[in-house]
Amino acid sequence: MSSGKEITISPTTRIEGQGKVTIILDESGNVSDAYFYATEIRGFDYFLMGMEVERLPFIISRICGVCATAHVLASVKAIESVCKTEITETAKKLRELLLMGQIISNHSIVFFFLTLPDFWFSPEEDPSKRNIFQIMREKPDVGRKAIALRSFGAYLLRLIGKREIHIVSTIPGGLITPLKERERKELLKKAKEACAITMEALQLGKELFDRNWEEFRKAGDYKTYYMALTKKDSMEFYEGKIRVINPEGELHSEFMAQDYVSQVEEKTYPWTYAKFAYLKTLGWPKGIVQVGPTARMNINKKAMTPIANKELEEFKRKFGNPAHATLLFDYARLIDLMYACERAKMLLEDETLTKTNIRVKVQPTGGIGIGIIEAPRGTLAHRYHLTSEGKLKQMKLIIPTQINNAAINLNVKDAAKEFIHHGEIKPGLLNRIEMVIRAYDPCIKCATRSTNENLIVEIRNNEGELIQML
Amino acid sequence: MKVNIISLTCCAGCISSFLNAGEAFLEILSEDFQIVYSPTFIDLKEIPKVDLAIVEGGIKTEEDEKLVREVRAKSEFLIALGICATHGGITSLGNIFSVKKLLEKEYSILKRTKLPELKDLMYPICNFVDVDYYIPGCPPMPFLIVHTLKSIVNRKQPIRYQSVVCTECHRRIMPAKLDRLYGIYEKEADPKLCLVSQGFVCLGSLTRDGCGAPCPRAGFTCFGCRGPADSLMYRSRDMYSFLVKVISKRTGVQEESVREELYRNPFIFHTFIFSRFERFKSRERII
Repeated sequence: MSSGKEITISPTTRIEGQGKVTIILDESGNVSDAYFYATEIRGFDYFLMGMEVERLPFIISRICGVCATAHVLASVKAIESVCKTEITETAKKLRELLLMGQIISNHSIVFFFLTLPDFWFSPEEDPSKRNIFQIMREKPDVGRKAIALRSFGAYLLRLIGKREIHIVSTIPGGLITPLKERERKELLKKAKEACAITMEALQLGKELFDRNWEEFRKAGDYKTYYMALTKKDSMEFYEGKIRVINPEGELHSEFMAQDYVSQVEEKTYPWTYAKFAYLKTLGWPKGIVQVGPTARMNINKKAMTPIANKELEEFKRKFGNPAHATLLFDYARLIDLMYACERAKMLLEDETLTKTNIRVKVQPTGGIGIGIIEAPRGTLAHRYHLTSEGKLKQMKLIIPTQINNAAINLNVKDAAKEFIHHGEIKPGLLNRIEMVIRAYDPCIKCATRSTNENLIVEIRNNEGELIQML
Repeated sequence: MKVNIISLTCCAGCISSFLNAGEAFLEILSEDFQIVYSPTFIDLKEIPKVDLAIVEGGIKTEEDEKLVREVRAKSEFLIALGICATHGGITSLGNIFSVKKLLEKEYSILKRTKLPELKDLMYPICNFVDVDYYIPGCPPMPFLIVHTLKSIVNRKQPIRYQSVVCTECHRRIMPAKLDRLYGIYEKEADPKLCLVSQGFVCLGSLTRDGCGAPCPRAGFTCFGCRGPADSLMYRSRDMYSFLVKVISKRTGVQEESVREELYRNPFIFHTFIFSRFERFKSRERII
């Protein structure tokens, strides 16, 4: 290969939504830059202007069919913060349960369908075989468990959210229908089964992880700030304070939801439709911060459920605090999953869950409000500016994938540097880059709220000519 | 049967819905139904020749168009899955903004890395390729997807749902005497009475059935995610006037005030904004 080139990977497979990677080589054939980018744009931020608050939560859920429930919850919280509405305890519990359903249905798919094939097969395996369907053929049991776990999440969403994807039961002020005692008992039974399956998944994941750890550790290790929700130092998804720690693990700042926008800033680049978010006080690029499963492990000292707490401690013991290796996202995701199943069980054991006081009246008012929750991929914020008639005047969404975008790009660049020297590309580049991206489980649908294309890796020279597509 | 699954401009909710089919999903995966290409699940970069292609999402970029044409050329049957693929869906709301404006507002022009160019509108895929089966829904219910796929695998015609959501809803229609229409959070809904009779703008009377009416059953208005029913497809019926009549009849509110209320709120019909839906081509093929 001659000097000054650019490499493209497209489509990047086994991630949700599709993107593209471009690696740019300098004159001597070494990596000068690498980008991971989203190629779609749908324009939600614009066409929802003027929408009535009443319809907002369930239309905004269409941003992403994978983490729809997380968007609905952030949205209703934002509206409630504008209208100064306090929802009832029962409603809060049901919403947390919905969020657990979201985490379970998302993480079960991400673990079994997207990342497990990387651990299961060797990198040399025929790419057409490196997928869950092949695993299912070899071991039908794994497939059955994956689907059983996903089904529990979906069932939870169906009974409480009234639909599995794009739930309708959650509105500003609470929920529209209470949970029935019969439904609670049935869900509780299934929650116990789900806990057992997750235990097995966790064991399997740990085994495969231990076996490959030496290899995984090389896949990138980018030391940044971390951010997540926390409540009394324990893992929390629905409410709490936002905590930021520095790369050494010391507390950097702690703030409430309403200060979020003054702490986190966004930035656009001309080569991607996805934006970048970073910590405002530190500026760009010092304020690059990561969110998501690893961040949740790094921020929190404990979890309120027993098994997740034990696993969290083990995680910290094994990988240090804070843990930085990129592929630990996959490990931490399993602890998230364990927590979600246990927490769902804990909430369902509570007999007061079937109380019918789940809704308060909302008085539409104007103003600005922010709603924050921990979505499967990290801290999700919706900020709305409403007019006095209760219509949307302005909206700003800061999405986990936008926050992780910077770290993903840096990781891709590191991986490219490791595999490309003087124009020579070592085999395995494609797989490594995809594994790193996959670890973050980026949701391009969310980051761009936009149109779509597959993930591509292209190699281009410094004039922008295309040299090679992987 | 070999199967491709392709995502265009969408939220990926329709494929997620397919995964929610649980046991039925496992059952369908067999020698007769092998997923061979899907960027979400399989590491294959080239699109193979197959018997069946499932396409979710509509067309918003040049890349989408290229992809859907290639997929069509390489498969015997093609299913448009979800309202974005069949009608244009939520992204059609963006049709009122020009692409240029959108990009200029937020991004500088993207030359170097050659991001795909955006189309002027969000198009349903039937504008570019022939579609064998349409499964509208946002997202379609898992059983609907599974039923259609099973029928195709067995070379049978899938059952078509042609009526309206009201036929699947348990609520009793009782003409009322209201003074105005209500928003969903203005009052609590009676659990047995038709939502329209209570003054809520529910689109069930226009919308194709086949979903089991989960939203009105739960006390939330139907928002038309299955698109218009057959009766509204055949003749050039004015859906707005139809809805105005229905609401006025059931609530007792004057047609004039209902019309005013509906026109005031452009988002009520969002799932019915078909950018260029080809009604005649799709007639007998909507599941």
